[in-house]
Amino acid sequence: MLHEDVQLLPFTYRVMPQGFLVVNQAGEYLWLSRSDFDRLLSGNRERMGELYYRFKGKHLVVDDDDEELAVEMLATKLRTRKGYLKAFTSLHMIVATLRCNFRCDYCHASSSDRDRADTDMSWDTAKHVVNLIFESPSPAIKIEFQGGEPLLNWDLVEETIRYAEVVNRFAGRNLEFVICTNLTMVTPEMLTFCKKHRVSLSTSLDGPGQLHDLHRKRRDGGSGYETFRKKLDLTREYLGQDGCSALLTVTRDHLNRLPEVVDHYAELGFNGVFLRSLNPYGYAAANLNDLGYSPGEFLVAYKTALDYIIDMNFRGTPFVEYYAALMLQRILTPFATGFVDLQSPSGAGISGVIYDYNGDVYPADEARMLARTGDRKFCMGNVLDNSYEELFHGRLVQDLVHKSCVEVMPGCATCAYQIYCGADPVRYYAESGDVTGSRPDSGFCQKNKGIIDHIFELLLRNDNRLNNLFWAWITSRNLKDMEL
Amino acid sequence: MNDGVINEVKPGVFCVHLAKALYEREAVFAAAYKFREDFFIRIEPVEETHVGIWFEVKRGQAINEMRDGLGEFCNEVLDQQVRMDLDKRFGHLREAIYEQAFRPINGRG
Ligand code: SF4
Repeated sequence: MLHEDVQLLPFTYRVMPQGFLVVNQAGEYLWLSRSDFDRLLSGNRERMGELYYRFKGKHLVVDDDDEELAVEMLATKLRTRKGYLKAFTSLHMIVATLRCNFRCDYCHASSSDRDRADTDMSWDTAKHVVNLIFESPSPAIKIEFQGGEPLLNWDLVEETIRYAEVVNRFAGRNLEFVICTNLTMVTPEMLTFCKKHRVSLSTSLDGPGQLHDLHRKRRDGGSGYETFRKKLDLTREYLGQDGCSALLTVTRDHLNRLPEVVDHYAELGFNGVFLRSLNPYGYAAANLNDLGYSPGEFLVAYKTALDYIIDMNFRGTPFVEYYAALMLQRILTPFATGFVDLQSPSGAGISGVIYDYNGDVYPADEARMLARTGDRKFCMGNVLDNSYEELFHGRLVQDLVHKSCVEVMPGCATCAYQIYCGADPVRYYAESGDVTGSRPDSGFCQKNKGIIDHIFELLLRNDNRLNNLFWAWITSRNLKDMEL
Repeated sequence: MNDGVINEVKPGVFCVHLAKALYEREAVFAAAYKFREDFFIRIEPVEETHVGIWFEVKRGQAINEMRDGLGEFCNEVLDQQVRMDLDKRFGHLREAIYEQAFRPINGRG
């Protein structure tokens, strides 16, 4: 038996048809053949041969004398990657009203009729919310107005923004505002205000006319798309081309039409798309049979669309798929990439939080949806009754943090993708009735694993042009500049 | 298919026998966890030296599919054991890395 004379450093691995993907504690990876993997496991310097230097370079092995230094280096890299934890809650979503002029088939918010003014947030509640937001230690604060359609409670949105700006004169945070709107009710006066107060808009776009209107339904029965187009132009007149981003919800009807959706996004001048799968909440859960699909079906559609986007870039149209870009950044760079839906521990409560119209506080929008269907498990408390400490340092948030660390979660603890992935305890609870979830039958896990597998397959091609494109996405540059 | 490791107990129910000297409890549990979507699983010691893992099919899989599944289970236990053995070799360093990564810098956090 060979003598083990080299210390292995912690790593995880995944057996793939192409070989062994070995990922170190800091997220750096190496592809190995079976025999080279055996050499690594041998822990024997002589058996490793020349490979020893590659292993060492990737922090997979270390000489006895360098152990302390290697631990320090990996710890620094890990600390950098987890940097988002230091800031604490920076994304604060405010539900200005549940009222909406639309009733979309998949609406998470399970919106209410236009005349239900009792589902508007009151000024007193909004003031309490803003005061609470500024108790967060985060140096950057993003306030995002949601609904329903927040523009239906415009006076409150305006007042809240003005008030937050006044508070921030003393707090000195990096303050940002976003309004999530279907755009159809936006007016020049509102846009003038947004411009003056540097508020950006985020809207929904599900594809060309017919596809956009298919599940995004106006309560008055008309087509939303035509108005949307006019209002998008108007918005850009005031806020510029990038003043309004758009979000796609992929339903069953989109699966075979994603390239068409991508073309439409590009045609309307958007720089990219986030191919976002449907979440099982709100109306979407009730309409799952008509709207839903399996993770496998989503992955097939996702890969086809990603290939299409890649090709489109090669044909000269710069366009980004944002989820792939996020994953690439996690795989290829050592930096922290905060994304509340995919963090370990989960971003629920500690990175993002949502204040319902009545002041109830939830760690995630999905938790609010569950409450709407009668399950208040994730209600952290209410801004009118509870202090910042009670809300953010309470049992609920602590429990979510403890139970959403992929490093120790069953199934995730040995997964090679844990450093790129994250946990979504609310989603797990909705799927399995338990916040820790069950990885073998979790759609969340299957989707993420499938996407990361595909990205590694693309990276393994070692295609210069493709790699340049990926770096262009990561660094927000143009492919042409990368090729110079 | 009764080869001493994978035994058909009755139609649709199989038992896998594994030697305790080769596989640890955690490796067996971690592997079984991955198969809980397809099978009802029961784990019990059978003798001093062996552990038995009973698999009952959840959906109407064909016996052939089930055999493949159990073959995969045996590979999975092996894989989990390799991961556990590795953890014994570098787990202390993983802990040291995490401890250091989350240690306050100059007491500032
Ligand atoms: S959710 Fe799935 S892909 Fe993500 S770390 Fe856990 S096991 Fe891996």
